[in-house]
Amino acid sequence: AMATEKCFAKGSPAPGPVPKGRLRLYSMRFCPFAQRTRLVLNAKGIKYDTINIDLQEKPEWFLEKNPLGLVPALETSAGEIIYESPITCEYLDEVYPEKKLLPSSPFGKAQQRMLLEHFSKVIPYFYKIPSARRNGEDVSNQEIELKEKFAKLNEHLEKKTTKFFEGDTITMIDYMMWPFFERIEVLELKHCLDHTPELKKWTERMLEDPAVKITMFNMDTYKAFYKSVAEGKPDYDLGL
Amino acid sequence: NFSERCRAEGSPAPGPVPKDQVRLYSMRFCPFAQRTRLVLHAKGIKFETINIHLKQKPDWFLEKNPDGLVPVIETPAGEVVNESVITSVFLDEVYPEKKLLPATPFGKAQQKMMLEHFSKITPQLFKISSARRKGDDVSGLEAELKEKFTSLNEYLVKRKTKFFGGDTITFIDYMMWPFFERLGMFEVQHCLDHTPELKKWTELMLEDPAVKATMHSTENHKTFYNNFLDGKPDFDYGL
Repeated sequence: AMATEKCFAKGSPAPGPVPKGRLRLYSMRFCPFAQRTRLVLNAKGIKYDTINIDLQEKPEWFLEKNPLGLVPALETSAGEIIYESPITCEYLDEVYPEKKLLPSSPFGKAQQRMLLEHFSKVIPYFYKIPSARRNGEDVSNQEIELKEKFAKLNEHLEKKTTKFFEGDTITMIDYMMWPFFERIEVLELKHCLDHTPELKKWTERMLEDPAVKITMFNMDTYKAFYKSVAEGKPDYDLGL
Repeated sequence: NFSERCRAEGSPAPGPVPKDQVRLYSMRFCPFAQRTRLVLHAKGIKFETINIHLKQKPDWFLEKNPDGLVPVIETPAGEVVNESVITSVFLDEVYPEKKLLPATPFGKAQQKMMLEHFSKITPQLFKISSARRKGDDVSGLEAELKEKFTSLNEYLVKRKTKFFGGDTITFIDYMMWPFFERLGMFEVQHCLDHTPELKKWTELMLEDPAVKATMHSTENHKTFYNNFLDGKPDFDYGL
């Protein structure tokens, strides 16, 4: 079958089985959670095929494989399905030994997981604040809270004196956090980084990473996509 | 031997963790800490417990874990790990005897996905209990809970296994157990009425040595929880 980036919707034909030696990613081009998995796939040089899903009109065949219908989801040639972005990322790092993104020690892994748990409390602000702003609400308190959270991340980098969160090379936690920072300007939250210079420098270093370059979109594309979302008709195939 | 009484603000900081064991910072009635205690017992890990007064937290505890929550594991090397699931996985990775997580990456992923599903149930339990206290009608919430229990039951029926990861207890069973132990406390035991396999699972879990070593009776849970909801928690209740 010809590869297409266009998303599959309700009524679309089911794709065949995943060929041996390849992995399939069910995704949506602009989803920050799916971008985590794409970053890991690219960083580790894993061979994979993508099927993008229309998240408003999910194909029946997709819901059969993955009842929650979420992206990202991985499917192996053995028909195994893995979903939830952190679970897909840990799975990939365990199955594909080249370019390990998680440390080998249990404590090193625990440190990465604890950082991810902290960051999961930051993510809602990336949704709450733009949404409240659209409703004409006052977001100053929430922005203060977000700035405090960014200050903690900045402190972590200051204390460790490393270029990335857990060392001088990119590791898993950097990729898990990145997609939200990639969207910070279009979400009009960039000013929340004004007093966190180490965190700002981290974003600049991340922008130079090859996996980030392959998976990212520019401000204009995000702007257009978010506009389509706000208008109630997300354009998942924007730009294709 | 350490006293089980909880340590509060002003208490002296404990010394370093002795070389041949790990230390657990805990609270005797906390379901999240019980997850870690179950893993410690199941794997036969040598550990000491320091219970924390969760309303008057010692400064030395907040230094180790600024989040101030339990459970926390501290190693002799001074490594501090927090969050119930993260501590449980850490222990399973460090101590090779009686592995609770499967060996394969997909097996591990399956357990993590099950846990993710289950994590949607825990807030519902607290919601029902708090709504009932306010005198609200909980029938809608209970109906939702019953649906979730039905899903869990169907899973056991499909797999034809006694436990969630196979015919022996694994990681996911221990992660789920503390909340099922408290169904009486939450007054939702009747929500298991039409889920016989899930009910059977709870009966099998009650026979497990690690569960027996860490559990409290429904009465004790109820007493603790009511005091806690009244704003007067007695962390040392029963001692």
